[in-house]
Amino acid sequence: MTSSVDTARSAGATPPAARPGARRRARRPLSETAVPYLMLLPGVVIMLGLLAWPAVQVLFISFRKLDLGELVRGKVTWVGFDNYTKILSDPEFWEITLRTVVFTATVVAATLLLGLGIAVLMRHLSGWVRIVLQLCLVLAWGTPIIAATTVFQWMFDQEYGILNKTLVLLGFDSFKGHSWFASGASTLAVIGLLVVWQAVPFIAFTLYAGLISTPRDLYEAAAIDGASGWQAFRAVSWPSVRPMLALVTFLSVLWDFRVFTQVWAIRQGGPDGGSTTLPVLGYLRGIAGSHFGSGAAVAVLMLIVLVAVTWRYMRLLIRSPETEL
Amino acid sequence: MLFKSPAQRVGLTVFGLLVAGFFLFPVYWMFTTSLKTPAQVLSPAYDLIPLSATLKNFSNAISIPNFTTFLTNSLIVTLGAVAFTLAAGLLAAVPLARMRFRGRKGFLLLVLVAQLAPAEALFIPLYLIMRDADLLNSLLGLGLIYVAFTLPFTAWTLRGFVKGIPIDLEEAAMVDGCGRWGVFRRVTLPLLGPGLVATSVFSFITAWNEFLYALVFLREKDKQTLPVWLSSFRTAFGTDWGATMAASMIYAVPALIFFLLVQRKLVAGTTAGAVKG
Amino acid sequence: MVGGVAIALAVSGCAGSGGDAGTNTTSAAPPAGPRTLTVWLMNGSAPKTLVEALHKEFQDSHKDVTVKFEEQQWNGIQDKLTTALSGNDAPDIIEVGNTQAPKFASEDVLEDLTASVNDFNGANWLTSLKDSGNWDGKQYGIPFYAANREVLYRKDMFEAAGITTPPTSRAEWLEAITKLKAKYGSDPDFQPLYLPGQNWYALLSFIYDEGGDIAKKDGTKFTATLDSPEAKAGIEFYKQLLEASGTKAPKDADEQTPEQAGIYGGGKVAMMIGLPWEVATAAKSDPTIKDKTSGFPIPSKTAGQTAPVFQGGSNLAIPAKAKNKDLAKDYLKLITSDKYQADFAKAGMIPGTSKDVSALQSDPVNAAMAKASTNGKAVPATPGWATIEAGQNPLKDMLTAYLTGAKTLDAATADANKALNTAFSG
Repeated sequence: MTSSVDTARSAGATPPAARPGARRRARRPLSETAVPYLMLLPGVVIMLGLLAWPAVQVLFISFRKLDLGELVRGKVTWVGFDNYTKILSDPEFWEITLRTVVFTATVVAATLLLGLGIAVLMRHLSGWVRIVLQLCLVLAWGTPIIAATTVFQWMFDQEYGILNKTLVLLGFDSFKGHSWFASGASTLAVIGLLVVWQAVPFIAFTLYAGLISTPRDLYEAAAIDGASGWQAFRAVSWPSVRPMLALVTFLSVLWDFRVFTQVWAIRQGGPDGGSTTLPVLGYLRGIAGSHFGSGAAVAVLMLIVLVAVTWRYMRLLIRSPETEL
Repeated sequence: MLFKSPAQRVGLTVFGLLVAGFFLFPVYWMFTTSLKTPAQVLSPAYDLIPLSATLKNFSNAISIPNFTTFLTNSLIVTLGAVAFTLAAGLLAAVPLARMRFRGRKGFLLLVLVAQLAPAEALFIPLYLIMRDADLLNSLLGLGLIYVAFTLPFTAWTLRGFVKGIPIDLEEAAMVDGCGRWGVFRRVTLPLLGPGLVATSVFSFITAWNEFLYALVFLREKDKQTLPVWLSSFRTAFGTDWGATMAASMIYAVPALIFFLLVQRKLVAGTTAGAVKG
Repeated sequence: MVGGVAIALAVSGCAGSGGDAGTNTTSAAPPAGPRTLTVWLMNGSAPKTLVEALHKEFQDSHKDVTVKFEEQQWNGIQDKLTTALSGNDAPDIIEVGNTQAPKFASEDVLEDLTASVNDFNGANWLTSLKDSGNWDGKQYGIPFYAANREVLYRKDMFEAAGITTPPTSRAEWLEAITKLKAKYGSDPDFQPLYLPGQNWYALLSFIYDEGGDIAKKDGTKFTATLDSPEAKAGIEFYKQLLEASGTKAPKDADEQTPEQAGIYGGGKVAMMIGLPWEVATAAKSDPTIKDKTSGFPIPSKTAGQTAPVFQGGSNLAIPAKAKNKDLAKDYLKLITSDKYQADFAKAGMIPGTSKDVSALQSDPVNAAMAKASTNGKAVPATPGWATIEAGQNPLKDMLTAYLTGAKTLDAATADANKALNTAFSG
C-alpha cells in the first residue's frame, strides 16, 4: 500500500523544472541556481518586511515606556524590563494565562474533531448535500464578527433568547431566566462555541482539500482488499490528511490563543474579569490604557507562551521526512 | 459514494443536513433579525419562524452614502490580495517542495515562524512602516498587509499540495511533449485545485472581513472598505442592529459567490486525482 | 537596527511641529495660498444642518480655506485617534468623548487652549464638560455637547394606573411602581420599570443624590470613595428600586445588552432610565409610542428636587501637531457661538457652550433632560478612566455581585474601590 505522499517522497529527488539530463549532482548554470531564490523572492520580501521587521519592533517597544505622549512627540524612553516586571508581578497574570491556555486547548480540540469529522463526512456525501453543507459552512465562516457576536448574545439572552425559550418549551423549566453569562466559565463556554462555530469551516475545508487530493483508486484498492471503513481511513486517508492536520492544529493553537474580538464583544472579559484572556489583558494595557510598551510586553509574553507550546511541533515539522526532498 | 446501501445513504444525507443546520442556524437568526423591528429582536413571543417581516432594515443599510464606493474598494483590495497571495504563495511553494538549494530549510522555517506573527500587536509598527513608505490611504498598502497575513499559510499549504503530486505524472507529461509551462498548466495546476480553493477562500475571507487596519490605514472616506460601512450603523445614539444585520447579510453574499465560483475547482481536483492518480 | 520605531518616531517628531515648537505656528503669520482645515467629528454627533451651515459660513469668511469634514466611526476610534495624533497629517479639530478626554489632555498631545477660553463662549460652559477637558489647571478640551439620563415613561399607562403627576421624589417613584403593578400585574410580560443590574449611570445619580461620589479629587490625583456611607446608601437604593421594579432585565448586563429601547418598544414596559433619543429607537417598532411617552428627571430623595446626573458628551480639541491652529481656533469660535449651539438644543442635546436650552422645552422628554442638566456631573477626570470606559468597569461588577448576593455590600464596595484605585494609578 502506497500513498501519494510516499510516491512523492521517493520520486521527489528530481526537480520537475529540471530538463531531462540535468540530474541533481550535475553542475547547473548560475541562472538555474538562481531560479528557486527568484521564485521565493516576493514572498520572502513580504514576510520579512511586513511581519518579521514589525515583530522585531514590537520587541523593542516592549522595553520602552511608550504612552500616547511619547508616541506623538517621538520621544524614546527605555525602561528595561519594567513593563515585564509590572505584568509578571501581578498575580492575576498567571490566572489569566492558565485560563487562556485551558480555553485554547478546549477550543482547538473541539474545532479539530468537528472539522475532521465534517471533512470526512463531506467526502462521503452525495453531490447536492455536500454543496448545501459547504455553503452553510462558508456562510458561517464569512459572517462578519460584529454580526456573529451580536447574534450569539441574542440567542443566549436570558429572558428573550431563542435558546432559553426553546428549552422552556421543551420542558426544561429551570432555563427560564437562566443567565449564560453569570460566571466566567459559562461565558467562556458561549464564547468558545462561537469561536468553534466560526473556525470549523476553515479546518473542514482545508482537511477536505487534503482528503480529496488522495487518488480515489487507493480507496477502491483498499475496499477490494476488504478493508473496513475505519481501516481504509487509517491506511489511505490518514497519511494524506496528517500533514494538513498538523498544520491546522498549529494554526488553530495560534489563532484561538489570540482570539480577541469575540471574547471582548461578548462580555468585555467579564463578569468580574472571569472571561479575561491574555489578548484582552493586552488590549486593556495597550490600546485602552494607551500604554503601548506594556501592551507590546503582553504580546511578547504571549509569543513566548505560544513558542513554548508549539516548540516541539515546529521542530518536528522542520525535521520530519515531510520536509525532506 | 463507494459501496453504500440506500439506508446508509439516507442516513448520511440526514446527518449531513443536520450538521449543515447547526452551522446555518446563527446565520438564519441573523437573517430573521434583519427582517425585524427593534422590539421584535428580543420579545417574549416564540419566534423561531418570523411572525412578520419588514424590508426597512435592508433599505436603511443600502442607503448609506458611498455604499458602491465601499463595495468597489473592498472588491479591489480583496481580489487583489487573493491574486497576489496565490501567485507569491505558489511561487514559493514549488521550490520549497521540489527544488534542492542552499538555505531551503531556513526558508521553510521562515514560512513556519511567520505564522506566529501577532497581527493585532503589529498595528503600530505597521502603521509607521506604511507611513514612511507613503502607502497610507492607499488600497495597495492595505492589500499588501492582507497578503502578509495570509501568505505564510498559503505558501505552506500549497507546498504540501505540490509535494503530494506524484512526480511521474509530470515526467510522463514531459515525455509526451508538454513544455515546462504546459506541464504546469495541464497537470500540476489542476491537481492543486483543492489547495488553491482552500487557500483562496481563506485569503478572501480574511481580507474581506478585516476591520481595524482598513479603518485606520485608509483615512479618507472614498478609500474605505465594506467593514467600515458595516460598523457605521453605530452612532452616538446607539446602534441600529436591524440595519447591521441586514448589512451583514448583504456583506456575506460576495464571499458566497466567490466560493461558488471557485468550488468547481474542488471537484476538478477530485476528478483529476481519480483519473491520473 | 535598534529601535526602528524609535528612529521613525524621532524623525516624525522633527518633521512635524510637535512638542513645544507647535506653539510657534499660531503666532507666526498664516501662510498664504489655499489651505485645508481638517475636521473630525463623530458619526451622528453634530446635526447635518449644523455642519453644513457652519462650514458654509466658515468658508465664506475664510477665503482660500476649504473645510475637509471627515466623519469618524465609533468602532476603533481609539486606534485611529492614536495614530492620527502622532502622524504628520494630524487633523486640525477632533472630537473626543468626555470620559476619554483626560487621557489625551494629561499626555500633552493637545493644544493648550486656556488663553482662548473667553473666545469660545467660556462664561456659558457646561461644568461637567469643562472639568473633563481640564488637566492640571489647563484647558485642553472645550465643551461640545452633552446629554443626561432621565426616566422615560408611558403617559397612557400612568394615567390608567391613576398616577396623575410624574413622581418628584424617590418615595413617589416607588409608589408609582406599586400602582402600575396593581393595574397591569396580571400580565406576566409586564415590567413597571425596566432596570438591568448594571445601569451604572443610574447608580451615579443615586450616589450623587446621597452626597457621595465615585472619587475624591486632589490636584490631578483621584482616590476612590465607593466605600463611603453616601455611596453605599446610593447602592442600597439601587437594590431597593430594582427589587421593587418588577424588571425581568438581566442582573449581569447593562442597558445595552439587550438594548433596552427595543424592549420598551415592545409595549410591555412602563418606565426605563435612558436618554431622550432612545424614544426614537423604541418608536421604530411602534410609531405610536412616541406620543405616549414623556419623561421626568430622576427623582431625588428630597421631595421636589431632581437628583444630580452623570453627563455624557464630547469635547472638542486641537491636536498639538495640527498644522492650522489659527484656523482651528476660528472654527472653534464659530461652533461655540450661541447661534450654532442652538442647533444642538434643537436636535435634542444639551449645548456645551450655551446656557440657552429653550429649544429643548417644546418636547416634554427633552425638557425633562434639560431640567436635570443644571445639576450635571462627570466621572473623575483622570486618564485611568479610559481603561474603565473601555469595558471593564468595577462599578458594573460591584452592582452585579451585590444584587445577585455573591458579595455583601461592604465586600462589593471594597473590591470596586480597590479596582478603581488601581485603574486611577494607571
